[in-house]
Amino acid sequence: MATPTEDPVLEIDGIKGEEEETVENNKPIDKVVGVAGEESGQGERDMALSAGSLIHRSGSRPQLDLSKAAIQGNFEERNPTILLPNQSDDIFHLALDIGGSLIKLVYFSRHEDQASNDMRKKTVKERLGISNGNRRSYPILGGRLHFVKFETSKINDCLDFIYSKQLHHGMDSHWHSELPADDNAVIKATGGGAYKYADLFKERLGVSLDKEDEMNCLVAGANFLLKAIRHEAFTHVEGQKEFVQIDHNELFPYLLVNIGSGVSMIKVDGDGKFQRVSGTNVGGGTYWGLGKLLTKCKSFDELLELSQRGDNRTIDMLVGDIYGGMDYSKIGLSASTIASSFGKAISENKELEDYRPEDISLSLLRMISYNIGQISYLNAIRFGIKRIFFGGFFIRGHAYTMDTISFAVHFWSKGEMQAMFLRHEGFLGALGAFMSYEKHGLDVLMAHQLVERFPMGAPYTGGKIHGPPLGDLNEKISWMEKFVQKGTEITAPVPMAPPGTTGLGGFEVPLSKGGILRSDASALNVGVLHLVPSLEVFPLLADLKMYEPNTIDLSDHNELEYWFTVLSEHLLDLVDKAVASEGGTDDAKRRGDAFARAFSAHLARLLEEPAAYGKLGLANLLELREECLREFQFVDAYRSIKQRENEASLAVLPDLLMELDSMSEEIRLLTLIEGVLAANIFDWGARACVDLYHKGTIIEIYRMSRNKMQRPWRVDDFDVFKERMLGSGDKKPAPHRRALLFVDNAGADVVLGMLPLARELLRRGTEVVLVANSLPALNDVTAMELPDIVAEAAKHCDILRRAAEAGGLLVDAMINTLDGCKENSCLVPLMVVENGCGSPCIDLRQVSSDLAAAAKDADLIILEGMGRALHTNFNAQFKCDALKLAMVKNQRLAEKLINGNIYDCVCRYEPAS
Amino acid sequence: MDPKEVEIPGNSDPNQPGGRISHLALDIGGSLIKLVYFSTNYDVDDEVGRSGKKSFGVSNGNRDHPVLKGRLYFVKFETSKINDCLEFIQNKQLHLGGYRHLEAPPIDKTIIKATGGGAYKYADLFKEKLGISLDKEDEMDCLVGGVNFLLKAVHQEAFTYMDGQKEFVQIDHNDLYPYLLVNIGSGVSMLKVDGDGKFERVSGTNVGGGTFWGLGRLLTNCKNFDELLELSHRGNNRVIDMLVGDIYGGTDYSKIGLSSTTIASSFGKAISDNKELQDYRPEDLARSLLRMISNNIGQISYLNALQFGLKRIFFGGFFIRGHTYTMDTISVAVHFWSKGEAKAMFLRHEGFLGALGAFRSYDKHGADDSLVHQLMQPFPTTSCLAGDKICSPPNGELNENESIECSVYAS
Repeated sequence: MATPTEDPVLEIDGIKGEEEETVENNKPIDKVVGVAGEESGQGERDMALSAGSLIHRSGSRPQLDLSKAAIQGNFEERNPTILLPNQSDDIFHLALDIGGSLIKLVYFSRHEDQASNDMRKKTVKERLGISNGNRRSYPILGGRLHFVKFETSKINDCLDFIYSKQLHHGMDSHWHSELPADDNAVIKATGGGAYKYADLFKERLGVSLDKEDEMNCLVAGANFLLKAIRHEAFTHVEGQKEFVQIDHNELFPYLLVNIGSGVSMIKVDGDGKFQRVSGTNVGGGTYWGLGKLLTKCKSFDELLELSQRGDNRTIDMLVGDIYGGMDYSKIGLSASTIASSFGKAISENKELEDYRPEDISLSLLRMISYNIGQISYLNAIRFGIKRIFFGGFFIRGHAYTMDTISFAVHFWSKGEMQAMFLRHEGFLGALGAFMSYEKHGLDVLMAHQLVERFPMGAPYTGGKIHGPPLGDLNEKISWMEKFVQKGTEITAPVPMAPPGTTGLGGFEVPLSKGGILRSDASALNVGVLHLVPSLEVFPLLADLKMYEPNTIDLSDHNELEYWFTVLSEHLLDLVDKAVASEGGTDDAKRRGDAFARAFSAHLARLLEEPAAYGKLGLANLLELREECLREFQFVDAYRSIKQRENEASLAVLPDLLMELDSMSEEIRLLTLIEGVLAANIFDWGARACVDLYHKGTIIEIYRMSRNKMQRPWRVDDFDVFKERMLGSGDKKPAPHRRALLFVDNAGADVVLGMLPLARELLRRGTEVVLVANSLPALNDVTAMELPDIVAEAAKHCDILRRAAEAGGLLVDAMINTLDGCKENSCLVPLMVVENGCGSPCIDLRQVSSDLAAAAKDADLIILEGMGRALHTNFNAQFKCDALKLAMVKNQRLAEKLINGNIYDCVCRYEPAS
Repeated sequence: MDPKEVEIPGNSDPNQPGGRISHLALDIGGSLIKLVYFSTNYDVDDEVGRSGKKSFGVSNGNRDHPVLKGRLYFVKFETSKINDCLEFIQNKQLHLGGYRHLEAPPIDKTIIKATGGGAYKYADLFKEKLGISLDKEDEMDCLVGGVNFLLKAVHQEAFTYMDGQKEFVQIDHNDLYPYLLVNIGSGVSMLKVDGDGKFERVSGTNVGGGTFWGLGRLLTNCKNFDELLELSHRGNNRVIDMLVGDIYGGTDYSKIGLSSTTIASSFGKAISDNKELQDYRPEDLARSLLRMISNNIGQISYLNALQFGLKRIFFGGFFIRGHTYTMDTISVAVHFWSKGEAKAMFLRHEGFLGALGAFRSYDKHGADDSLVHQLMQPFPTTSCLAGDKICSPPNGELNENESIECSVYAS
């Protein structure tokens, strides 16, 4: 919604003319680059940046600019690889880590953010005291970080990839001002290959590799990841991943063990402060090299896959083998402890061919992992380090590898130390090389400014996105169709097993191979990192460290399965709505099908490996669905439904307001809260409600819902809330200064529920900020739609009209009253801000800077609806008074959360903590 | 101290009558069976030997017993050829020289001290074939007992090995403890030794001699351990190992102290070469493997020594076998990781530590044949002991490969 292209309203000439910079969109790229560079360099003027500060989740852009994308290769090949369209990303910055076995690429595509020069917003900003002058300017450009891998032996594929995406020409002048951009492009590179292949890059691409120190890069990459990405680290014990959030202040010192071809162990004491303290020559190269010789495997992944099915007891000499099946418990060795790797090969008269390659691979894997774990532990203890992070390509999210290393560390440290792994293992060096570009500003990035997206294809490639880029959306859809058709024949590099069949959405998940330790199940996907500099932490959270948005933890498998079923069942209806929203054209149908497939694939992938995309909560899952819709260019699937419901609700609003005005203050407050709860019944995301829609008009449903309102509600803090609002006896408490109302659904929910409540607050002298989604999610009302709704409501209500004018909401609708605004500025304003989200839930660690600014003077928060008050934030504590209102439209959630039933209501009031 | 006259204190039982003339102890490991036995040409000799007198002066002065003069013999068999071993014992009637239970009829209650995992595994076989019971001695106890015995009793038992130079080290008994004992058998045990019978297994690794031999067999089709070692001697590890120079295009990565010839990744070159196993020379494969394993053991040993503040690391076990290249790589690893501060030391009788310890354990039990070993001529007694290699015929067949002349108090 932040871009003019998405919403025709923004293209009104007058608005567009307001700030000339928007024209930049149409300028040639190099011009844009120049401007961006200048601004970033100065760090003062931040037109482009303030544009970014209007919430922009780049992945959410419904409009794809496909000009850069191309498709290559044919789908018949065994390992089709996909590349995601880069949408309207223009400027590339590339860094390489060329190791002995793999080449890792990290590239940044800057997203051209446009200012949405909305006068309303501008006025709101002024009202909230947000202006370009006193907002901090972001040193960072919004954009995306992409992660790609190639085998070093296939360096030509890598060169082709860079060439086809023209990544080497993206080195814009502001990062390399001293060099002419054309024939002397310089790319940051690290790893031994940066030396070895320097000439090749020069020859093939005409670029010079600027060699960055490998250790510097590793450490910079790890420090960046651990600081900037929430839950980057995880432990892995007996097949179970647990994501760990590490306090920045307690991060150092740590031991970083990078397992590439060889192994480096680095003691890290701070940013740029580190020392290589040890290493071992028995590393990934040994596994692969020896494995290749012993098993004839053609690739590392094949070798890893073999190990899944292996039994190392056939070839390793176990303690039990030596002691005739008995433990040597005196020294703490169990019979199944490996006494000697490959030791059984000694005494048996077998040749190499007599052993199963699977067993050999597993034996080798265990030998090397265990050894690395042990040497790491010994080094950690030597320096008194408690945390060991393991990274590098050898790990590859491979469960057995991680388990073995974890076991070794646990065993030798007697449980004192934990082995930890990084989701972006393998990319540390490349990221660090990337960090070495000057002025990218990434080093100041905070976790709340990064959003990780998993675009289509992630379920298939396991995050290893490489190979020929996919072209436009059309080709992307074709790929989906082909894939489904040929599903079992195509083996993506990771996951390693061909997809099988499942009932889930008619799509496929990998065949079960038994046992919990499966490489495909544990391979973690690496998404595209979206850098959104304008995101901030919601300042009213009582304790950021304790805050966990998700109420439902999907690490509980039953919970996971339940919600997957809910989402799968709802999928058909969603696709119908989405296709209908685009007029039901053939194109829309095709995209709808592709969306259903892609989302089902995501679901299947996550059901198989819940940790594949990082820590998974219900909110993430719901957001993923919205992102997936947007990826297939469904701008707003519920657009027409929302419009219809808004109109119907607005039509009865005057009567409702009149009814309310006839009540006493006390009864009115109760009626208003009842109204909010009753109107919250409308939710296209809840199956029960979708069924309701078939039974009557929304007004009928609303009336029925209201009539059923009966206190006490399942959670009923109304009396406490009332006392805070109205006082008791003669005590009249002061009204709140400013209330933030997090609204939920369009239609009756917002019009007949939240607006009247807002009006009551305004009447009492409390400023009201309506907080709505930046991007559509289901039938949730968006910040873009709200002003029109308010304007329409204001036609029948003076309170709303004056407040809306004071809040600058009616600028468009009533241009002729502009002067009046000034007069009214002393009045209590009604404002709208976007929350920075495109999801039915809200993670308050990542909200728009506008919302963060609006929160500063707020002393009351009202969260409404299941998504924002129950699924997320039900347990959130705030620094100010908070009211959580919702009707539970899901039986299971009702039972689980409030020990109640479907349609029970929650009115939870918590005074400032 | 007179190097030629060493007495081990506190290990005789003065009240027992004289015993047999041969005594056998076994260490049955996963790969090799090690035998130590004592044999004498003399009958019980009341006359204390020339050294014996002197040693009495050194010791408690309670010695008034006959002394057996003879030799300690050290013999190895592959565990897979255990029948050869049984035959050997049968032929030499070694099993009749064991410790006999006092209350039992001597013939069918012969008991032999044994250690190593195979002492459990093959107990029935010994019973069946030779009619003897194996008295299982704790493996670690035996190991440490063996080393403590050797380091104290045998002159110039320990030596360092660097760049082809063997240097004997005489260690002051008073300054012997604590030390790290790394026993490289099929697997590797690392023991922190604080005194006689005072020790702790602090670490170990599953990458040991068994790995070398097992992997080596698979990679080269070698028929035995010694052949594999021979091969490695002629190999060049650069063919298969990925060196720092291979990654950095021939240049050092000197910033972190890695020279271009440092191995970055063992067998790492096999990744990118378009070669099959057959395309590599067995010699090169063996060499890479040996370097990988030696280096790894050296590193883990050093790190453990560091953790416990131990100055000395002794390496023993059949993997070493006096094989110069193995000793060299372990020494280099310890030197490399300790930045020259620690030195790897080796024992001339590596491989027989457990068997020796088991042998010594006869003493502890108030046995009728309680032994005191008086080593008469520890070095060099036989021609076998003179060379770099402690007599290990290339074919590794049954061999009576060494002996130490010694005296035994048969109290």
